[in-house]
Amino acid sequence: MTDWLLSAAQGTFGQVWGPVVYQTVLNLVLIVAIIVPLMLGVAYLTLWERKLIGWMQIRIGPNRVGPGGLLQPVADGLKLFLKEIILPAKANKGLYVLAPVMALMPALAAWAVIPFAPDVVLADVNAGLLYLLALTSLGVYGVIIAGWASNSKYAFLGAMRSAAQMVSYELAMGFALVVVLMVSGSLNLSDIVEGQGKGRFAAMGWTLLSWNWLPLLPMLVVYFISGVAETNRAPFDVVEGESEIVAGHMIEYSGMSFALFFLAEYMNMWLIAALTVLMFFGGWQAPVAVAPFTWLPPIGWLLIKMFFVVSLFLWIRATFPRYRYDQIMRLGWKIFIPVTLVWIVVVGVWMQTPWSIW
Amino acid sequence: MFETAVFCVFGAILLFAGLRVITARNPVHAALFLVLAFFTASAIWMLLRAEFLAIALIVVYVGAVMVLFLFVVMMLDINVERLRAGFWKNLPLAVAVGGILVAEMTAILAGRYFGAMPSTEPAGYSNTRALGGILYTQYAYPFEIAAVVLLVAIIAAIALTLRQRKDSRRQDPGEQVRVRKSDRLRIVPMKAESHDPSRAADNAPEGANK
Amino acid sequence: MLVEYYPILLFIVVGLLVGAAPMVLSWIGSLILGTHRPDDAKLSPYECGFEAFDEARMKFDVRYYLVAILFILFDLEIAFLFPWAVALKEIGFAGFLAMMVFLAILVVGFIYEWRKGALDWE
Repeated sequence: MTDWLLSAAQGTFGQVWGPVVYQTVLNLVLIVAIIVPLMLGVAYLTLWERKLIGWMQIRIGPNRVGPGGLLQPVADGLKLFLKEIILPAKANKGLYVLAPVMALMPALAAWAVIPFAPDVVLADVNAGLLYLLALTSLGVYGVIIAGWASNSKYAFLGAMRSAAQMVSYELAMGFALVVVLMVSGSLNLSDIVEGQGKGRFAAMGWTLLSWNWLPLLPMLVVYFISGVAETNRAPFDVVEGESEIVAGHMIEYSGMSFALFFLAEYMNMWLIAALTVLMFFGGWQAPVAVAPFTWLPPIGWLLIKMFFVVSLFLWIRATFPRYRYDQIMRLGWKIFIPVTLVWIVVVGVWMQTPWSIW
Repeated sequence: MFETAVFCVFGAILLFAGLRVITARNPVHAALFLVLAFFTASAIWMLLRAEFLAIALIVVYVGAVMVLFLFVVMMLDINVERLRAGFWKNLPLAVAVGGILVAEMTAILAGRYFGAMPSTEPAGYSNTRALGGILYTQYAYPFEIAAVVLLVAIIAAIALTLRQRKDSRRQDPGEQVRVRKSDRLRIVPMKAESHDPSRAADNAPEGANK
Repeated sequence: MLVEYYPILLFIVVGLLVGAAPMVLSWIGSLILGTHRPDDAKLSPYECGFEAFDEARMKFDVRYYLVAILFILFDLEIAFLFPWAVALKEIGFAGFLAMMVFLAILVVGFIYEWRKGALDWE
């Protein structure tokens, strides 16, 4: 099938450009196949968030649009789409429009290297994790540009707060990734997942106990909490801080331009969930290698685990009050960074001893 | 063929971005064009198969250095007109320095670069691992020097920017968490008081008698 | 190697388009439907109902610059740690020791900034 398409492309566009056209079309189709389910996931995550938090607060949540509120995201999307886009008079027009795009692009492009099942990955690059680190560090641009281009005090304050917060937690995340790399010895995410399926417990069928979460438990905690801070979710949402700076960098945005920031935030939640699962919870592997658990296809396991991690984001939001800014910076710099540094040394020494399990 | 086309596109974007960095009137625009320039430069490094360096360029320069630049140009009101005042006076010197730089780089790179092709690597070859394999063993000494340079940079940054303000008040969350009931609350044993006016009148002389 | 990076390039381009398309469509839509009705008050920066009485772009506490500078330095450290972590199983004890010395030197810097109060916010 693919060979036939390749030769057809070569016949039409020539020996040189044929493969290029073939690769481009094939990859575009695959990209759409990733983006469409992702968008659906984001849309229904907003509904799930409202439902779950509703239940946690003994309410029902949205239940009017469609059966059980299932069409609520569609209604929300349509509403945002039809709203007027406001271009503030004092704003820096070009950058003001660029900012939401800059927020969304890294959140989307990161999915290029996420493996969904063995060998099911769009770009199987050697430096996958490094690429992800680079894209996470781009996320801050959307916020800074939005805050500056809006030319509004709240927006500017929010942007500066969030920029300082995001860079601080990026460090903790980076150090946590280093520990994962040490034990897996590869930057390729598929290799990282495969590496977790080996070990004494995995040989006994208890794959669950061979995953990275157990030996790297402190890193899991640091990584996940940094992920919550990085996506500016509660309790680290001083960026938006409704009661102090109204909506931070998003204050001047309306309609679709606001929706893009919103999309980017939820997409980043899914991304952090996917990465947590891939690096610490064995990716697509079944927790126990016996009959009823192995029936589910690998991608099913990945999605189930991601769903649980994402729900954890919502649970945290429903439970904790907002952090104060100095507390946020203290947690990032004075607790997470020392903890990760110590754990790098601990794991490093562990790996030098004969008791190394990796 | 296709690679050359991609290279030409990125090269053109890089040149354009570089040009805008020095011609843009607004310093924030200039900084953002510099971000674009780094981005395309990274893509060109990628075309040269320098996988690790290309992504590290984005992580370090785009993700960190340019964030600082943006902080600075956004938060300081830079007067662009005053910066431009000496442009024509300093131009000859700048051109001379630029010319020397170009000449030096050509002298170093020309022999090795022109005609050299990107190396073809075996399957499963990881640029990053190859780099790690020699950086920490063969080049361990320069590597430790880098650590010292970073240490000096940390100390210098703090010495230059840190000013303790006298009027600021800070909270120590550790101390707040450690607080016990006995630190804040003093329980004073005292006799019950009554607010009933008729009783109050009765009570007063009684208390006075004791 | 480049074949594997081609989808990433495409994905970045598609990402930019996916960001731009809804805004353009929504803008066109609002022009057609007539919901695009700007006025002075709507276009002024939001400020609790008052006229804005100062420039929004103000000078900030130097502490923010310090955070950004320290971030660069620690980010570089991470850039050094990545190849080390990947190659750790091959470079043996010598490579491990080299990084421990590197980290020790930087921990000195970290302790210095902690003691100096560069990590405190008030």
